[in-house]
Amino acid sequence: MSGLGFEPGFAAAGGLGAWIQAEDGRKILDGLCGDGVCNLGRRPEAVVAALAKALDETDQGNFPMISREKGDLAAALAAWAPGDLDAAVFSVMRGEAMDAALKVARGRTGRTTLVSPDGAWYGETGFALSLSERTDRASGPLIPQTRIVPFGDLAAARKELGKGAAAFVLEPIQAEYHGREAEPRYLQGLRDACDASGALLVLDETWTGLGRTGKRLACERAGVIPDILVLGEALGAGVFPIAATLLRRDVNKFLEAHPLIHLSTFGGSDLGCRVATAALQAYERERPWARAARTGARLREGLEMIRSRRPGALRSVAGRGLLLSLELDDEARAVAFCRAAADAGLLVRPERVMKRAVLLAPSLLLTDDEADGILAAVDAALGALAGEPT
Amino acid sequence: MRKSEERAVVERFARHLNSGQVAYLKAGHLDVLETERRGIGFVDGFSGRPMIDAFSSAGCFNVGRGNPRVRAALREALVTWDTGTPGLDSAPRRELRKRLAEIAPGDLEKVLLCAGGGDAVDAAIKLARGATGRIEILSTIKAYHGHTGFALSVNGKPHYRDYCEPLMPGVRFVPFGDLDAARGQVSENTAAILIEPVQGEAGIFVGDDSYLRGLRELCDETGALLILDEIQTGFGRTGKLFASEHSGVVPDLMTLAKSLGGGVYPNAALLWRDVEPLASWVRANPDFHRTTGGSELACVTSLAVIDEIVERGLSENAAVRGAELRSALDEIRLKNPRIVKEVRGLGLMLGIEYIHEFLGPLMSDALAQRGVFAAYSGNAPQVMRFMIPLTATAEEVAGLADAIRGAVEDMGRILPLALPAARIPVLLRLLNNERVQTRLFGGLRRLEDAFSRIIRSRP
Repeated sequence: MSGLGFEPGFAAAGGLGAWIQAEDGRKILDGLCGDGVCNLGRRPEAVVAALAKALDETDQGNFPMISREKGDLAAALAAWAPGDLDAAVFSVMRGEAMDAALKVARGRTGRTTLVSPDGAWYGETGFALSLSERTDRASGPLIPQTRIVPFGDLAAARKELGKGAAAFVLEPIQAEYHGREAEPRYLQGLRDACDASGALLVLDETWTGLGRTGKRLACERAGVIPDILVLGEALGAGVFPIAATLLRRDVNKFLEAHPLIHLSTFGGSDLGCRVATAALQAYERERPWARAARTGARLREGLEMIRSRRPGALRSVAGRGLLLSLELDDEARAVAFCRAAADAGLLVRPERVMKRAVLLAPSLLLTDDEADGILAAVDAALGALAGEPT
Repeated sequence: MRKSEERAVVERFARHLNSGQVAYLKAGHLDVLETERRGIGFVDGFSGRPMIDAFSSAGCFNVGRGNPRVRAALREALVTWDTGTPGLDSAPRRELRKRLAEIAPGDLEKVLLCAGGGDAVDAAIKLARGATGRIEILSTIKAYHGHTGFALSVNGKPHYRDYCEPLMPGVRFVPFGDLDAARGQVSENTAAILIEPVQGEAGIFVGDDSYLRGLRELCDETGALLILDEIQTGFGRTGKLFASEHSGVVPDLMTLAKSLGGGVYPNAALLWRDVEPLASWVRANPDFHRTTGGSELACVTSLAVIDEIVERGLSENAAVRGAELRSALDEIRLKNPRIVKEVRGLGLMLGIEYIHEFLGPLMSDALAQRGVFAAYSGNAPQVMRFMIPLTATAEEVAGLADAIRGAVEDMGRILPLALPAARIPVLLRLLNNERVQTRLFGGLRRLEDAFSRIIRSRP
């Protein structure tokens, strides 16, 4: 069983920087970063060293207890995040962090309806799945009281929010829907509509946060501060699984009034907090958002050149920074392309909602040579699809 | 630790995580700071007192805290591996799946690695409902399966669900241990019966052999699937590698987490039997639950954990040490019938139930004074759980028993003060109310702290 959506034809034997080591001895350019996790490349030295050191000194800890590590990371995140997003709930992964966000949204507002645009993908756990656009809903009824509105349609969003919804939830850029981006005016309109209706604005920055789109957070581009912000596993930089749900002080009052109503055994492991604190420092040191913007523009330009050189091969190229997407004719071609790309030394995968599109999200510290390597592999894969000799 | 530093740690936690949680922990005398985490315990950084860890993060520390073999395996893996790529296979993932299939009961041989316990339970519910094409899940009152959306929906304590409703429809709750009640609620709409073989958070209730076998038969008769949540009970905790081995019942699905991570690196798994209707449905829906769990670092860690448990005979040790602790607790109960109502458990998953709920926080304090960190159950504050690491020696268990005996005797001295109040029904209700407890015991705690400051400040 492969969760990649295609059979890559190789297994992993480790990795470093922008590369995955394959069992067969090949070096593969990592175009997925473990689904947007390894933003600083694989095994960033300072972050790995932080885990090695922490292992000598501590362990995950008893989960409900007061801990120095949890407090330190939460304080660092509060200083790092915009506005008064200064309380944290830790999780082991995205879905859990989203479920925490949506539970708090209901708890804080006393309302039930959760609104999301179509084309979204937030994870596999109960709440996250229930708001995601999935074509494979074979596993029975989900969490009720959800509403899906057309992406970018502010009037539709206002209408649902006007009925007394608990929250509007979205990704600033939909990674699984061909890099579809919420325009600043849409985000600002949603912010206003939430304020007017008393609903909370929840942003899932699992893919877009921590530099991938050329800013620390994608919401900075619109100048919008959400009430709840989800940071995904990029927080652990591919060294430890940890995610965070950041809450505005006022929103956290719900959890403070009902302590231990939401628990996570592995979320906020003291080892994970040490890793994430070191990762956050590494992010600030490397400032990979600046490089993501520059390298992303260069890659995008190269991809457009390939597209114009090969008429009909690529329908479109989309995305921002190093969250990129290639649209092919249909799902079967997307799968064939991913397989051909793997053979040409690049790991990418079909997107989960728009299945004819292919996700390309390499390390934010990609060098120009490595970016050229990605372009060469994309070109070779398209060539293979066109029946050119390899 | 300096007082100013101590205050800074607590204040930072209160400000940036949860001030209510700090108040709650203080009221329950559970505000320790774990340092020097080794063997069966840690040193409380606030008081400087060595503590036996009788909570083990609800069953995460079966191999002991800071287990050298597990830490060494993880440290070595850092040279090669990381959190990997979801869906991309590797040797550590293959090996762990194979190893789990080998050690799992019966023909549980298919493995999906997950990120955490809730993730695995959510995956199990999706798989069960998908494969049977049925909607209903039968869970038990006071059951605890996690906090993600579907796991929360089957949580048997309304307190956790109420503010998050409406949740997944089609869940029915029946009393744990009551086979007739289960029989009365199972129908052709039932996708699965989901239970913990020993209820943990509910307050340590052991599902006896006839109950588990009865549920197995009920599932076979009706086509419902049996899901055993062995997240707390697995990996030796109850004296067998998996609790279901006591009854010989093989479930159709089994969830694992907690101790699979060895107390250092999160890992979890869902196992299922490769039989119909599961096999066909998974073939048709191979990506029914795509998660970032089961990374290479996690798998290397878990392989070392399993080696440690099997090679050191930790399940067997849990059975022997558990019997020793059990007999000591039974003796304490016989001597203190006004305090201890019942002793329950299996292996080193033991609990004592007090006569009154309000004794929970008081006992936490009395135990802490004697160097034992023990938490009352989340879904039942009148029950104190004792889940020490499975590496404990006979001497360590004897030391723990002495501390518990002493703490119960301390309670006996307080009781003449508290009991008259507890005889008045209104006051008893108040005393047993969680929020009142936090306020009341929080207030008492502040008074105590103030007095101890005055006493300490005297020359």
